[in-house]
Amino acid sequence: MEPGEAARLLAQTQADSRRSLDFRAPWVSLVAAGVVLVGFGIVWLNVRNQHPFSGPSPVSLVVFYGLIALRIATVIYARARARAGVSGHSVTVQRQEAMVMAAVLLVWYVVLIAIAGSGQHGAGFDWSLGLSGTLIVLAVVWAGRCAIHNNWRELALTVPVAVIAVVGAIAGPRGMWLVDGVGLCVLLLVIAAFGSRRRRGTRTRLVRTGA
Amino acid sequence: MTAEALDPLIHVPARLQIMAALATLPDGDQLSFTRLQDMLELTPGNLITHLRKLEEAGYLATSKTGSGPASRTSVALTADGRHALDIYATTLRGLLNGV
Repeated sequence: MEPGEAARLLAQTQADSRRSLDFRAPWVSLVAAGVVLVGFGIVWLNVRNQHPFSGPSPVSLVVFYGLIALRIATVIYARARARAGVSGHSVTVQRQEAMVMAAVLLVWYVVLIAIAGSGQHGAGFDWSLGLSGTLIVLAVVWAGRCAIHNNWRELALTVPVAVIAVVGAIAGPRGMWLVDGVGLCVLLLVIAAFGSRRRRGTRTRLVRTGA
Repeated sequence: MTAEALDPLIHVPARLQIMAALATLPDGDQLSFTRLQDMLELTPGNLITHLRKLEEAGYLATSKTGSGPASRTSVALTADGRHALDIYATTLRGLLNGV
């Protein structure tokens, strides 16, 4: 085997393996972008003319949470397919992280229900806290996880999520659905574009072991 | 420097592919035999032969869990294996730059 041929084979195998084992494929981000835009858009269309604001209708909430469930199912499917046959330390760590994330969300929702149940605030405050607060909590927990792993690139992605949540809260209980929907959709499209570019880039690069 | 400077154990297409694929896993992770076979599109017999050679050199470690039809063989690169692949890639770069 000639050195040039060996270099091409090494680079190609590593690029193919990375692509095969990485569940965050661009198509997953594209599906998420569509889901986010439709989900948030449906709720926004439902609440945009409410005066006074009383909150999204049960039908729009069923569609919204149904689409979130679809997004979660897509990620679980993509992950299971990409990580089939992989075992060891990183798998255990990812399982623990998922449990921590679920526990944090559970506690957060208990707090939200308690605040809404107290009846001290209006529907506008409760929904703003529910949506923007949840996005900020998710961004903070994910940022902490990225900091532990020294994954600064992914940590940087949590900043726009928090910014979108804050801008959404400022936009009010009606406008936040539009701001958050469009903001998160654009962010996911950018992630998909970068992912696609990175995958194309690794295909042409020679001799990178990554070991 | 000539191509003979390259580690002869790695400088075989199938073994280079095995090493390269396993190097993309983080330290402490293993890949099942069947998944590795799917990824590299090698026949079971061919893959076993090459895995044995790399294992004898201490470049990778295999582990078996379960028994009977449900048993599963997993493969991982050892620290020596990662080091050997690093040296191989560096030598390859040197050869290509010298051309």
